[in-house]
Amino acid sequence: MKIPYGWIREFAELSLSASAAADRLINAGVEVASVAPVAADLRGVVVGEIEAVEREIGRSKHGYALFLCRVSTGRDRFAVVCGAPNTRAGLRTAFAPPGAVLPGGHQIRAAKVHGVESQGMLCSERELGIGDEHEAGILVLDRDAPLGADLVRHLGLDDQVLEIEITPNRPDCLSVVGVARELAALTGARFTPPAITLKESDEPVDALVRVRIDDPDLCHRFTARVIDGVKVGPSPAWLAQRLRAVGLRPISNVVDITNYVMWEIGHPLHAFDYHAVADATIVVRRARPDERITTLDGQDRRLEPSMLLITDPTRGVGIAGVMGGANTEVGTETRRVLLESAYFLPSSIRKTARMLGLKTDAAYRFERGADIDGLVDGSARAAQMMADVAGGTLARGMIDAYPTRHDRPVVRLRMSRVARLIGAAPPRADARRILVGLGLDVRDRGDDLEVEIPPFRRDLSMEDDLVEEVVRVWGFDRIPSTLEPTTVRLVRQPLAVRQAEIARRALVAAGVHEAITYAFSDPAHALVLREGRDKGPVELMNPLAQDASLLRQHPLEGLLGAVATNLRHRQPNVRLFEIGKTYERIDGGTREPRWVAIALAGMRHEPAWFAADTPVDVFDAKGLAEHVLDAFGVSARPAAGRLGGFEPDAHAALALDDGRIVAEFGEIADVVRERFDIDVPVFGAAVSLDVLATVTAPAPRYEALPRFPAVQRDLAFVLEDAGLTAGEIERAVRDAAGPLLRAVAVFDVFRMPDGRRSVAWRLTFQADDRTLTDEEINALRERLVRTLTGRFPITLRGQA
Amino acid sequence: MHPRVDAIVREAREALAAARTGADLEQVRVRYLGRQGELTRLLRSLGSLPAAERPLVGAAANEAKRELEAAVDARRADTTAEERRRERAGARLDLTLPGRRPAAGSLHPLTRVHDEIVSIFAGLGFSIAEGPEIESDWFNFEALNIPPEHPARDMQDTFYLTESLLLRTHTSPVQIHYMKAERPPIRIIVPGRVYRRDADITHSPMFHQVEGLAVDRNVTMADLKGTLELFAREMFGPRSKIRFRPSFFPFTEPSAEVDVLCFLCGGDGCRVCKQSGWLEILGSGMVHPQVLRNVGYDPEEMTGWAFGMGIERVAMLKYGIDDIRLFFENDVRFLRQFA
Repeated sequence: MKIPYGWIREFAELSLSASAAADRLINAGVEVASVAPVAADLRGVVVGEIEAVEREIGRSKHGYALFLCRVSTGRDRFAVVCGAPNTRAGLRTAFAPPGAVLPGGHQIRAAKVHGVESQGMLCSERELGIGDEHEAGILVLDRDAPLGADLVRHLGLDDQVLEIEITPNRPDCLSVVGVARELAALTGARFTPPAITLKESDEPVDALVRVRIDDPDLCHRFTARVIDGVKVGPSPAWLAQRLRAVGLRPISNVVDITNYVMWEIGHPLHAFDYHAVADATIVVRRARPDERITTLDGQDRRLEPSMLLITDPTRGVGIAGVMGGANTEVGTETRRVLLESAYFLPSSIRKTARMLGLKTDAAYRFERGADIDGLVDGSARAAQMMADVAGGTLARGMIDAYPTRHDRPVVRLRMSRVARLIGAAPPRADARRILVGLGLDVRDRGDDLEVEIPPFRRDLSMEDDLVEEVVRVWGFDRIPSTLEPTTVRLVRQPLAVRQAEIARRALVAAGVHEAITYAFSDPAHALVLREGRDKGPVELMNPLAQDASLLRQHPLEGLLGAVATNLRHRQPNVRLFEIGKTYERIDGGTREPRWVAIALAGMRHEPAWFAADTPVDVFDAKGLAEHVLDAFGVSARPAAGRLGGFEPDAHAALALDDGRIVAEFGEIADVVRERFDIDVPVFGAAVSLDVLATVTAPAPRYEALPRFPAVQRDLAFVLEDAGLTAGEIERAVRDAAGPLLRAVAVFDVFRMPDGRRSVAWRLTFQADDRTLTDEEINALRERLVRTLTGRFPITLRGQA
Repeated sequence: MHPRVDAIVREAREALAAARTGADLEQVRVRYLGRQGELTRLLRSLGSLPAAERPLVGAAANEAKRELEAAVDARRADTTAEERRRERAGARLDLTLPGRRPAAGSLHPLTRVHDEIVSIFAGLGFSIAEGPEIESDWFNFEALNIPPEHPARDMQDTFYLTESLLLRTHTSPVQIHYMKAERPPIRIIVPGRVYRRDADITHSPMFHQVEGLAVDRNVTMADLKGTLELFAREMFGPRSKIRFRPSFFPFTEPSAEVDVLCFLCGGDGCRVCKQSGWLEILGSGMVHPQVLRNVGYDPEEMTGWAFGMGIERVAMLKYGIDDIRLFFENDVRFLRQFA
């Protein structure tokens, strides 16, 4: 909300500069986004009068007629070419003679137009930088504007505008008077509210208007005044300029006054054309089903029965607190004005405005809470201005429908509470002065204060609210800095946090980059990533986009998106992991399983002179999963995979001894890749942190280092059956080799030209009590070979 | 010593000195100490000597054998080193080639900032607490004194799963879970993912917050200020300053917005701090009495402070990142910058 500083100073005797005032407001919690001059870079522009429009001299390049005008500044006369549609003899306007400077540093010089010398320029609002109007022509000034006067001084343009942003609890600062009161409280300056002296006629208002509130739950108070004999026309220049300075467009004197008073006092008002209101009767009621109204913006709107409507006995005449109706709009024909000043339930106004998609200055204020007492001042101020500016006569009195009075809450403030909560407190006298300055009624009660809260501060309802008010104005910078004394307690980190740390450390050390992806899921992706046994997906009622309308159920969905992004960005080598969650519906609620997800694509190494260009494969994914399990001290054995999204022939799992799957890995299925627009192989793994959380790795125990040398023997077998796995054979080796076997490692795997696989193991034997002899070990090896070849269709290599 | 033995030893020592390579050395060893070597032969021929000479020559030859074996071993170490020297010179190693560096992974920048923040508070005796991302309306709003008609509760701003289930819009519901489960003194730090229905270059529908909470019998706003000052100095440097500005949050009273002196310009004003010299980094305040009552605490007995900050915001300021979407795009060129 824009507020000219000069306007504020009409009500608070402030001696600080506008920017110092802004700083003071910011430090007290009223945000000031900017302080800017009303008119930047405007110099030498004066009030001029068009004495005569002499002749058309041709057309501008935009096609409109250019006229030569004779302009007087009182002392001098100028010949000025102007294309504005509103030039006419006798018009007083803004004139920039040669030497004047317009916004943007644009200096006016005498120039030839169609061979005619133009000595300066007549200016529109937009050209002066004080408003948006341009099409309607040059700025129109009052008929009695002093000729030759400096325009900046004449219109009060040498002022600063504060752009105020309030927090939702401070609607009282949505007005010039509110900000003036706040600034006065903050600086100790004198605050004087607008003086309103009413000059009323003898005609009583209740003879002219009747008001009935049918729905007092939504409309707590409705007042009406009548101003007779108004002449609707353009506002005087000072009034129009004030509105322009705050970003409002001047419309007509009557309408402009309602806006002016809304800005000044903060209360939204509405002016009806009295004669358009049937039976001069206002009924405030909820809309009927399918009732319609055409609002002031010309839109025909269908209403809901929850919406509050201002009506006459025949039809709706305005949507309460949001926008007036076109049927009762004040126009040039209007002679008598019915002025509404009312209070509506904030939540009702918010709902109505939102449902209708209508954001108006009035709704903005009503939905944050208007001042149910202050509305009387708003009505009086506007009515008197209409009488003064639009030449009307004010009927005597005000219709005041106020079925249930709002009470003023009384709150006790203990100074001990201030100290207890803040750790410091101002003296009671200072606290008292602060609260009084804010417009509250304060009484002494022993060591404490008793505060009556006026309705414009409906945000204050309890003691701690007053603590904040006192300390806020006293100054947050006066709060000391301390550390609370505390009993020493053990700092505990949840298991999930420690797990994430272990996994991160392991994977970063293994050359994998951590990614963080959205938890949202695209139904098209979810479809191809789906597991066999389908759990209900978690669906958003109001997603931002259709492709983010679920929460993900597959731990790799986010990373696959990241792989696709990298490929699109021509980054072919991708090694990513994510510590994340999936989301699933379970009976009576939801679950958020935690995972380490890993995705790999491209080459195993970045190009280097010492490394071969080898593409990653499924064993890279498996290896990283195993690496994570190692970091947790957990060993696992092969198992069949269950997650969806992998190629069945390149997908397996790792399971704990009790059979529970702790990790899965594999090659991402072609159908999945296609959905993600990935055209290279991708390998993935997912380690369940929830399963890992249930396993306690045994603490390390020292074993005496071997004192006798180890002996190694190699076993290479040709596998005669394609279905046979290295894992099965290795398990048999372990079972059959006896206690001397200390380690088994596959060290060679290859496919022979005839398609059979050859797998070679290196076996390490060692005894605790002696050096093993060749004879002993050779015998052991031979026994092993016999056992294995007896159990599996395999042949010892070299004998095949 | 025996003159023959002496002669052999002298000869062998000369040959050893002349040996340049391992192969030379082996030749010398074989010639004197090998099966057919001169000393071996001499020892073998002892029987042909007169009985009186035998022990003398035998002893001398054995002594000489030990001596020579030791000399060969010593010389072998020399020649190996010499050979490697010659090899290196011959190979002309190009040491400007890059080393075999292990591939480096990286922590996500949000993790780095998260870790920094959390470890500062852990050092101050705060435990980490976590909570679910799918929350009930009561925990996310109601318990935190956010009334039903509050704009934040609108479908416009919050992702709903059902009428009463939603994606948490802040980490504050964890305060409620924790306070309900534990008794003061409470000192926790709560990091986590949160969701708001908003997307542009400074707003992401999913982002991260860290929340701090201290509740005890005599916790004051001055303590909040002292704690955050300490935090700012650790996080943003020893010259860091903070500023408390009154603000409004439904779950704190009084509430304060906390600005930190712009660490890019030192407070002189720059593009990042929009010439103000200050950066808005967190919201804070004293826990609202209604929130305390909602978890069964007596606000006359217990007081507390809380703060919350966006990790993305701090990371953007700290690393000069100008688009929040970069965090979730995970371009490896972006991620690698944080290795």
